[in-house]
Amino acid sequence: MASGPHNQAPSKSVGPEYRPDTQKPMATVSTALSHENVHILPQTPQLIALLTMIRDKNTGRADFIFYSNRIIRLLVEEGLNHLPVVEQTITTPVGRTYSGVKFEGKICGVSIMRAGEAMEQGLRDCCRSVRIGKILIQRDEETSKPKLYYDKLPEDISDRWVLLLDPMLATGGSALMAVEVLIARGVPENHILFLNLIASPEGAKNFAERFPKVRVVTAFVDIGLDQKNYIVPGLGDFGDRFYTM
Amino acid sequence: MLQATRRHHYSPPWGDASIIGVAGSSGSGKTSLALAIVAQLNLPWVVIMSMDSFYKPLTPEQSRKAFLNEYDFDAPEAIDFDILVERLRDIKQGKVAEVPMYSFEKHARLPQTTTIYSPHVLILEGIFALHDQRVLDMLDLKIFAEADADLCLSRRLVRDVKERGRDIEGCIKQWFGFVKPNFHKYVAPQREIADVIIPRGIENKVAISMVSDQIQKTLSHKSAAHQLELRRLGKIAEESPLSPNALVLKETNQVRGVHSLLMNTVTSREDYIFYFDRMIAMLIEKAIDFLPFQPHQVVTPQGNVYMGLRKSAEVSAVVILRGGSALETGLRRTIPDCQTGRILIQTNYRTGEPELHYRALPLDLAKSGLVLLLDSQMSTGGAALMAVRVLVDHGVPEDRILFVTYLAGHVGVNRVLGVFPDVRVVVARLGDDMEDRWVETRYLGC
Repeated sequence: MASGPHNQAPSKSVGPEYRPDTQKPMATVSTALSHENVHILPQTPQLIALLTMIRDKNTGRADFIFYSNRIIRLLVEEGLNHLPVVEQTITTPVGRTYSGVKFEGKICGVSIMRAGEAMEQGLRDCCRSVRIGKILIQRDEETSKPKLYYDKLPEDISDRWVLLLDPMLATGGSALMAVEVLIARGVPENHILFLNLIASPEGAKNFAERFPKVRVVTAFVDIGLDQKNYIVPGLGDFGDRFYTM
Repeated sequence: MLQATRRHHYSPPWGDASIIGVAGSSGSGKTSLALAIVAQLNLPWVVIMSMDSFYKPLTPEQSRKAFLNEYDFDAPEAIDFDILVERLRDIKQGKVAEVPMYSFEKHARLPQTTTIYSPHVLILEGIFALHDQRVLDMLDLKIFAEADADLCLSRRLVRDVKERGRDIEGCIKQWFGFVKPNFHKYVAPQREIADVIIPRGIENKVAISMVSDQIQKTLSHKSAAHQLELRRLGKIAEESPLSPNALVLKETNQVRGVHSLLMNTVTSREDYIFYFDRMIAMLIEKAIDFLPFQPHQVVTPQGNVYMGLRKSAEVSAVVILRGGSALETGLRRTIPDCQTGRILIQTNYRTGEPELHYRALPLDLAKSGLVLLLDSQMSTGGAALMAVRVLVDHGVPEDRILFVTYLAGHVGVNRVLGVFPDVRVVVARLGDDMEDRWVETRYLGC
């Protein structure tokens, strides 16, 4: 099926279960995807409202930062759920037992510069002292293909679970290249989690085909890409809106 | 879907307030007597209301006369008994009562009011406290304060000149023109219907302690009835299945892992605070999904249209002290400018009865789209029940109240939701019934 910006955006009434459908407002929700490795956050009215804020061109930078941080925290919380745990029994302060779990395995964050760095705060809000590596990938003017310019990663990265950060997944050119870099450093494919705010169906598909074991956690899948390969409707340039606009 | 939810009745200790009327001549020491009784009891739920607040607003002509000391303030007609009766009814039923404020300097009612809420015992003092039959019907104890007429005049002179900005000639004119004749006509007859007559005002230590003892007895009776009420509701709560309005945070790996860290006694306090804040931020995100939203179309910087949502009302929070204060960091991470009220409810360590000590609520709380009631832990549900009742008394619709807590038990949750079935409880973990409070102790470190 040819996917493009003329796809019909799915519309749904959203709200808590207890509320009858007639009392739930209609909104455009994430496009559903069938790729097993793509995990889309539950489309709650709260999440839709947050996305509405950051998509709005009239939202100022302070609000843009605050609201995107809230979504990023939800993404991180969901992403961390994919990490392994071991069963552990706890004695509670009142002397009862609780069958809990213990987090297993070391993690690190890797942000794709510059927009991905905007997600580091949200990651640190959930994982206080997490190590963060960086990768700079830019489009080569001559070949118009992504090119790796710089990377600085923890030395023991092959022993870690990697949370790869980039807010916008359009064609997936740079994200796929970043995954290649990680794999080249010895990170197993199934130890990589790609955290992303808004994805295009094309980007998600490219990921699913190239790296089916990399889990993609995203807040929303938009309807498609325009001629310039921007996500539609998208939110503009995330890095510009977060850092400079 | 038609679901008949049974609603159980809960009467807080202020639900049927006792009212004590103290009448007596001007200058007979009513006010000092009432103050002495309240001072001896020293409890926040024994409150004085002066009938002076209920003087009728004056017409310009009456006002002119008043400044010439020719207006009769000492006749029953000067008092707005209709408003007084209305406010007393509110207080008797445990509702919020806005009491007018009267300025003696300006001879006018001021635009602002004082709020009286939740007294268990109210002392109404004024020269005509035992005058109106509608008031008498609400009184549980009728007191008449008696004093020598010379003493009354001298006290009145001192008070009016010092505290109410009058001159001496005017006061004397009032005394012989109005106060004295009115005393014989209206004030003295109240003596006949009083239960207790107290001579010599505050010097009468025996009488003061007798009245205080009587009030103390009333209070313990109310407290016992309240404890019984809570036990009755607890029994119903135990026997019924967990209310569908209790929502528990989904047990994902992260949630279980954070619970494990929070409940493990070897976790450092630093870690405990970090993970608790993180958990509460998740809980608040879940809670505010209950806000009303409306469709909202926006245009992206590239000119694309997105059909999204916008919240159509604001969230407020009310923190139950002190436990609830542990949730404020998590709250502000999600809603930094959340309008926040505070109420202090303490559990009496002797009786286990929750007691309302203090409240400071946002003025327009009733207009919020959602009110988050925050407490770190719900144990017996007694304090929670009381807190919900306070919000309902302040006009917040039940279905807009969301009780947010880290830990709760089946009985506690049901005790609240049995009485207020439209309230919702959002809880991070369902624990044992009546678990001792430990969550805020670990967060606050004491």
